[in-house]
Amino acid sequence: MGEIKFGKYIILDSLLYTDTDEYVKIEGEIATIGITDYAQKKLRDIVGIELPTLDTKVRAGDVVCTVESVKAASDIYSPLSGIIIEVNEKLLSSPELMNKDPYGEGWIFKIKMTNQEETKSLLTPERYIEKIKNSGD
Amino acid sequence: MFRTPLLNIEEKLGANFGEFANWQMPMSFSSYLDEHMAIRQECGFFDLSHMGRLRIKGKKEELENLVTRKLDIENFSMIGPSAMLNEKAGFIDDIMVYKVSDEEFLMVTNAINREKDIQWIKKNSNLEVEDLTFDFVMIAVQGRKVWNYIDKVDLQPLHFSLNTKFLGENVFLLSRSGWTGEDGIEVWADIKTGEKLIMKLADLKIKPAGLITRDSIRQEMGFVLYGEDIDEDTNPIEARYWIFDLDKDFIGKDKLLYYLTEGVSKYRIGFKLQKNLRIIPRHGNKIKILNHEIGEVTSSTYSPYLSRAIGMGYIKSQYPVIGFHVNIDIRGKEYRAKISDFPLF
Repeated sequence: MGEIKFGKYIILDSLLYTDTDEYVKIEGEIATIGITDYAQKKLRDIVGIELPTLDTKVRAGDVVCTVESVKAASDIYSPLSGIIIEVNEKLLSSPELMNKDPYGEGWIFKIKMTNQEETKSLLTPERYIEKIKNSGD
Repeated sequence: MFRTPLLNIEEKLGANFGEFANWQMPMSFSSYLDEHMAIRQECGFFDLSHMGRLRIKGKKEELENLVTRKLDIENFSMIGPSAMLNEKAGFIDDIMVYKVSDEEFLMVTNAINREKDIQWIKKNSNLEVEDLTFDFVMIAVQGRKVWNYIDKVDLQPLHFSLNTKFLGENVFLLSRSGWTGEDGIEVWADIKTGEKLIMKLADLKIKPAGLITRDSIRQEMGFVLYGEDIDEDTNPIEARYWIFDLDKDFIGKDKLLYYLTEGVSKYRIGFKLQKNLRIIPRHGNKIKILNHEIGEVTSSTYSPYLSRAIGMGYIKSQYPVIGFHVNIDIRGKEYRAKISDFPLF
């Protein structure tokens, strides 16, 4: 898994991304979702999370949970359609994992995809870097 | 936008910058959670160069008419938190005043109000106002164990020194003040000296802290932030901010007396949410009793020291106060909160 550095932000070349700063790790029909290094740096200290509900059917673009930082409460969107099959309960007591290790221990939820075609509309690492660039950071 | 003159050196210390009151300032260095705990348990320092710093010269009586606290005290005294009020007793600003002599005073203003305050003073007096904000930086060293880190400064509370030494450097002002609830000092120094001081503080292993920590620390104490918790439509009685002397005259006093005798329709309260619940109310969230709105949140944060969300807001004055339970509506969901007195820790 290669790291791409863009300014002070780390982007992983093996992941896909969204306009709303989630990353998606695809393994077969399972997608693991969290927030990007850019997102956690923008939010600064994350102090809490309301996790998504297990076994919920979601559509791409649905708000599935909220992350609390000192700055704001931020909605987390499901990048894909599917069923939520796992949530990272460690985050309830240690939400700072999203700051410390966003792409690893800080993952938020996993879904079993119902429409793999949707992955085509996600951003490649290069396009995600473009997005950050255009946001002026 | 203004930039703190200490920006380059703070960048080397790992600062993460953001905008506050039209200033680019360090928001945090490591994590606000660690910085907050450092102030409460050990020691930390803040760059407060964004705050307005004015030198005011002229007749004491003229300034006396503008500020709510008595100025009839010894020279080289810190008058402490005070305020300038409008005729409606609303806050023009809450300020810190130092008396150098009967003809010279120093004033610290909120960053957001600096220019407004200068105009207000000029409009309502013949006092001479010199803006020192860009000539000096301001650094606060604060913490429960501050004197384990730096030599105890020989200053009585409510006193301060001008043109003295701190950590071997010549500084313009040194005072035993802080705004954190912990012991410590505040320093005004020229920019070069300020840079040296910051490096010396860092070498002493004193943790640099940013404005996010400043905000969480002041909320534990119940200190108000201008623009969030008080403004020109809020008076000191509603804000429960006892920074006035009634045995003197000042602009807004008549209205203040009116509120004191007739009462106010709302007042400021502190609150704590359930322990370990990691949800933060936001400015404007409604405070309720059984679906009935009784007030609004003005500031809130997560206190790492208390492991819970805390904050302040205003509720209608007919409601019971300390210990009373209310609900706070956060994004359509209600969370139980206990009304608590300040300080909250």
